[in-house]
Amino acid sequence: MSKSSGHVQVLTANRLGDGAVVFLNFDGDWVATLAGAVIARSPDEARGLVARGLFDAGRNLVVDPYLVEMREVAGALLPIRQRERVRLDGPSILDDVPGYTAPVERPPNAAARGAEANAAEGAGPHRGERLTGAEAA
Amino acid sequence: MYRYDEFDAAFVRQRVAQFRDQVARRLSGELTEDEFKPLRLKNGVYLQLHAYMLRIAIPYGTMSARQLRKLAHIARTYDRGFGHFTTRQNLQFNWPKLADIPDILAELAEVEMHAIQTSGNNVRNVTADHFAGATAEEVADPRPYAEIIRQWSSLHPEFSFLPRKFKIGITASEHDRSAIKTHDIGLHLKRLGGGGLGFAVWVGGGQGRTPYLAQLIRDALPEADLLSYLEAILRVYNLHGRRDNIHKARIKILINGIGLEAFRSEVEAEWIRIKDGVLKLPEQELARIEAYFAPPQFAARPPPAELRPADRSFDRWVTRNTHAHKQPGYAILTITLKPIGGIPGDASAAQMDAIADIAERFSCDEVRVSHEQNLVLPHVRLGDLWSLYQELKAIGLAEANAGLATDIIACPGLDYCALANARSIPIAQRLSARLAPRQDLVGDLKIKISGCINACGHHHVGAIGILGVEKRGEEHYQLLLGGSGTEAAALASITGPGFGPDGIINAVEKVVDTYLRLRAGPQEAFLAAYARLGAEPFKEAIYASA
Repeated sequence: MSKSSGHVQVLTANRLGDGAVVFLNFDGDWVATLAGAVIARSPDEARGLVARGLFDAGRNLVVDPYLVEMREVAGALLPIRQRERVRLDGPSILDDVPGYTAPVERPPNAAARGAEANAAEGAGPHRGERLTGAEAA
Repeated sequence: MYRYDEFDAAFVRQRVAQFRDQVARRLSGELTEDEFKPLRLKNGVYLQLHAYMLRIAIPYGTMSARQLRKLAHIARTYDRGFGHFTTRQNLQFNWPKLADIPDILAELAEVEMHAIQTSGNNVRNVTADHFAGATAEEVADPRPYAEIIRQWSSLHPEFSFLPRKFKIGITASEHDRSAIKTHDIGLHLKRLGGGGLGFAVWVGGGQGRTPYLAQLIRDALPEADLLSYLEAILRVYNLHGRRDNIHKARIKILINGIGLEAFRSEVEAEWIRIKDGVLKLPEQELARIEAYFAPPQFAARPPPAELRPADRSFDRWVTRNTHAHKQPGYAILTITLKPIGGIPGDASAAQMDAIADIAERFSCDEVRVSHEQNLVLPHVRLGDLWSLYQELKAIGLAEANAGLATDIIACPGLDYCALANARSIPIAQRLSARLAPRQDLVGDLKIKISGCINACGHHHVGAIGILGVEKRGEEHYQLLLGGSGTEAAALASITGPGFGPDGIINAVEKVVDTYLRLRAGPQEAFLAAYARLGAEPFKEAIYASA
């Protein structure tokens, strides 16, 4: 079922209030890091995550939930696509932005990738599915 | 500068109140995202990769010091200390919280600004020559017409749900600084045969995934007929433009599908029907709007330039960044937001505040935003240039590179944009650093970078254009050569296979090396050399070792 052997999926979205990138963790919370993210390793698990995303979008917790394909490397998760790596890490150029002031509430390292491979074991994931399209420019 | 009348002020205040209510209902869950999205887009609010983004209109790129100071205040209070000036002469904030946006819009309304129709399928912010009202090259200031179009198109009941977004650009000079041929409608204000003012009307231009240059639909439209002719074009487009496929919905696709003559025939028929109706532009109304754009009180005899030490950096800056003014003793000054290795178009709150102060003291209280992501002080006394240079140096914005290879246009790209496939800004930064040592030797060279096929970075009309794409999940870049957004507009051509992030930097450098090696002399600019030599020598250099 997986596009590439060894790939798994996690559920991501943007937080309603500020649009911040968030991931669903095992406590059912939407958090800014991959630490503790729920990992789908089978089509059934992926479908479960999609359903959870739609449910939380309906509860106005998050916007535009979708599955992101990840590679597991030494117990950590690494997004396959560059787009998702930038989404996870934040803009790559913030050090060069004139006058940039980081928000105090922002986690010091939103790019923490030390996720435990703590999802249920099973067959490989299926292809990621974006639930809603990005808006046109 | 145009000032809101009571109608404008009430309209914008009302819109702020409406959006405040809509945001509250969204946050409470009363509105779903599907219901809210078209409402927020009508108010310039996007959801990007990491946060919401608010796009603020700077009509025809003109603003006062007070307005710029307000943008600085918003950057500092509600955002992360900076703003990004765009290729549509707008400003974008990349980090606003949804709940704060109604307050931001209320603050903007205090200084006669808004974000209405900076997104959505309607007529967007009308762009104009950033030297308007200051250059001797123009037949008249085009901004009164841009303001009239703004008033006509704002919440136009028939054109609020067009098949796709609609962009209008206007110039009044033979030398086109507004890239009008890349617009859905491009207007060239000129003197007509009878001596009156009128327009050459160009239609169907646009970049994006299917780039077209605009075609001339009418060569001599009297100014009084401007709105009726625009209305006829929009009406025909609204009727026939496709709504079933977003990629085929722009007017350029319609016109190139049915042909210019068929399109013109329908527009003319509609125009004949409506031209003598309510949209006829009364002379007194035009005069009323023009009065807002009356030239400032120039000093009849500006004082002589102050004494200053010999300074080659200053001389170089004056040579590169000033442009002839129509008033003797004055200059038009470009402040490039392109420090070497910096981020194109970004300005900090402190820089915006400082430029606002400078504009008040040195430029008759006016600042312009150019579609090349720079700021312009339109009315600077020659005698003030030395002092001005010192002040701009103090805020890191005295780079002498207007029009040079480091004056790069770049869209926000994958660092911010949800549509992007690849990062634009780091490529611009690296190219800037790489090319800076030789930029004076190279001379005029426009490099334009887009992070996706939507072409916000105008790569199709770059002398050197770069398009970011995604290839197997990674960033990849196509190289294009030979484009121009001027009166000699041309679409650039792809050179061949693309490159990774390192490869594209090297490829551009090889293009520059080849140009320097083969040009007839320093007087032969890049595009002239490219036209003479063709693409082959550049391709050979780029792909020789591939």
